[in-house]
Amino acid sequence: MPIIELTDVFKRYRVGEQEIVALNGINLSIDQGEYAAIIGPSGSGKSTLMHLLGCLDTPTSGRVLIQGNDVSTADANRLSEMRNSHIGFVFQSFNLLPKLSVLQNVELPMIYAGVSSRERRERALASIERVGLADRAGNTPLQLSGGQMQRVAIARALVNSPRIIFADEPTGNLDSKTGAAILALFRELSQQGSTIVLVTHDDKIAAQTPRRIEIKDGRIVQDFFNPDADLPGTARPLTPQPTPTS
Amino acid sequence: MNLWFGFLVGLKEIWSHKFRSFLTMLGIILGVASLLSMFSLTAGMANGMRQYMQQVGGIERVGVIPQEPPTDQEGFAEISPGRTIADAEAIARSATLVSAVTPISELAAATVSFGSQYFRTPAYGVWPDYVPINSHEISRGRSLTWLDVESAQNVCVIGQRVTQRLWPDRPRFNPVGESILINGRPFKVVGEFTFYETEWDRRQRELSTKSAAPARTKRPTKGSSSSGRGYSAFERKNSTVILPITAMFYNFKMANVVKNEDQGPQLKLDALTIQVADIARFDQALEQVRTILEATHRGIEDFTFDTRQEWFDSIEQGIRNTRLSGGIIAGISLLVGGIGITNIMLASITERIREIGVRRAVGAKGRDIFIQILVESAVIGLIGGFLGLIASFGIMRILVLISPTENAPVLQWENVILSFSFAVIIGLLSGIYPALKASKLDPIEALRYG
Repeated sequence: MPIIELTDVFKRYRVGEQEIVALNGINLSIDQGEYAAIIGPSGSGKSTLMHLLGCLDTPTSGRVLIQGNDVSTADANRLSEMRNSHIGFVFQSFNLLPKLSVLQNVELPMIYAGVSSRERRERALASIERVGLADRAGNTPLQLSGGQMQRVAIARALVNSPRIIFADEPTGNLDSKTGAAILALFRELSQQGSTIVLVTHDDKIAAQTPRRIEIKDGRIVQDFFNPDADLPGTARPLTPQPTPTS
Repeated sequence: MNLWFGFLVGLKEIWSHKFRSFLTMLGIILGVASLLSMFSLTAGMANGMRQYMQQVGGIERVGVIPQEPPTDQEGFAEISPGRTIADAEAIARSATLVSAVTPISELAAATVSFGSQYFRTPAYGVWPDYVPINSHEISRGRSLTWLDVESAQNVCVIGQRVTQRLWPDRPRFNPVGESILINGRPFKVVGEFTFYETEWDRRQRELSTKSAAPARTKRPTKGSSSSGRGYSAFERKNSTVILPITAMFYNFKMANVVKNEDQGPQLKLDALTIQVADIARFDQALEQVRTILEATHRGIEDFTFDTRQEWFDSIEQGIRNTRLSGGIIAGISLLVGGIGITNIMLASITERIREIGVRRAVGAKGRDIFIQILVESAVIGLIGGFLGLIASFGIMRILVLISPTENAPVLQWENVILSFSFAVIIGLLSGIYPALKASKLDPIEALRYG
């Protein structure tokens, strides 16, 4: 059953007089438990695509279904709720709040979900333990290394038990060794059943995921099962893409 | 996100920028401090004024004063005898709405002496009702009586300032039973009034005598009172000498020598004072007195009433005006403080755009961000208001030290609450625009920022 389903999605921006087509007709379906990489050069529209999938934005036209919920026409509050309960984000620059402790950072999504403080603490600690930072819960992010910060961010993304985790260049600010460790963590999470969508411009990273979705000029140009990845995946034909507008 | 959590986040944010937050709060602190000090000062002034009004006999006390008769009565105005004892007697007999009346015949500057000490002060020949009408109280001995008046006894009741002047070396001297001279005539002191002073002076005096008591023997009250400086209503009252009006007539008014010629007895009154029984029927009482006096004055309208209504009204109006204008000025400084908050909150938002983006990404709604920013600025107002209250206590102490007036500031709880809530409201209002701006940020733009 697809957890993400995009049908004929277009996204256009207007910058002054000029119209920019960021997504030029996207059909995409990602199943529950899949581990996919969206790869493309900068300016290809992959960030825009991730914003749509992550309920940060709505398409100009077309339909976006997340867990069966149509979010293409949802208002800002509905999008916030969707992000809160269905989606976890991991960013390239970690985006932790520097004044809060690790524990408080991880608690943040639950605050907006209205979880009681005791449960918040329990779940946050469990999540921190899951990424292997149990002894750092009281530290502030600035006292941590880059890899540790990204683990905290992952713990935060996991804490509301979201259906999907979006990682935007999660290893971009890390050295290759720490990056590999973070990717290993994603793989582990994937094996435990999380749906993970990774956005990257790095072929080596995309090569480690079972599914590889390549995007260029706002269109999906390749979508295939990766036989090299040592993870279970589903081979699929390229979903028929709609006709571009220009 | 609940409000309590927002409050904590606000506190944390303020604490992490201690100095900046303090500077921001300073506007509110000073605003609240000046607002509350101003309220307390005017409350003190109002208090002083009301005490004063009470001391001079309140609004019930009405003087009958002479006026030029109307032009159509000019030709035969002499048929009126003017203000005489008969007026007072007629009022006492017939004016049911008047509770007390006294005729007054005065010596504007009598020389009161005992031994080698003398003191110049007005002396009044009166009826016993003079005492209640002018809010006098007897502390030692007795008041004047009707028997004194009817038998024209050479007795007098004096204020404590007179005692202090005549017996300067003997503090708390009891003058009752002593014989003093008034313009050379012997009078026996039968009573002494209480010492009149403001609440403030009384407290000061008690404090100084209490602290000075173990060190030295009792000091005369004279030196320790600040009202000794000014010629106030209290001072005038403390210097009063009263005697029976009959004794006044027999001793001092039987001859009136002008240019070596005796003008005959001077039995007209210098003043005629009444006390209205019921303020609610003030006008009726005056009408009653007018009717009686028209009879005794043979229809000549050569008198009118000196009420304090207008005077008191203008004093009250003055207090209200001071309060209002002071309040507006202090309010402006609070407003400036509020603008400071808005300014800092805007800067703080720009600084935290990314944080707002992260909060939005993990599920905060625009409303949550709005509340967070609003609570933060309200907390600044709250803390600023609280510190302002503390500061105003300090300011008032300083004010009291540098100007020990009779009108000491009076702290009223409603003013404390008013000033404080004004600060909180200003804090809230000045947060609205920044909060709105923050809540409208696009999460994608915010995440990309910086």
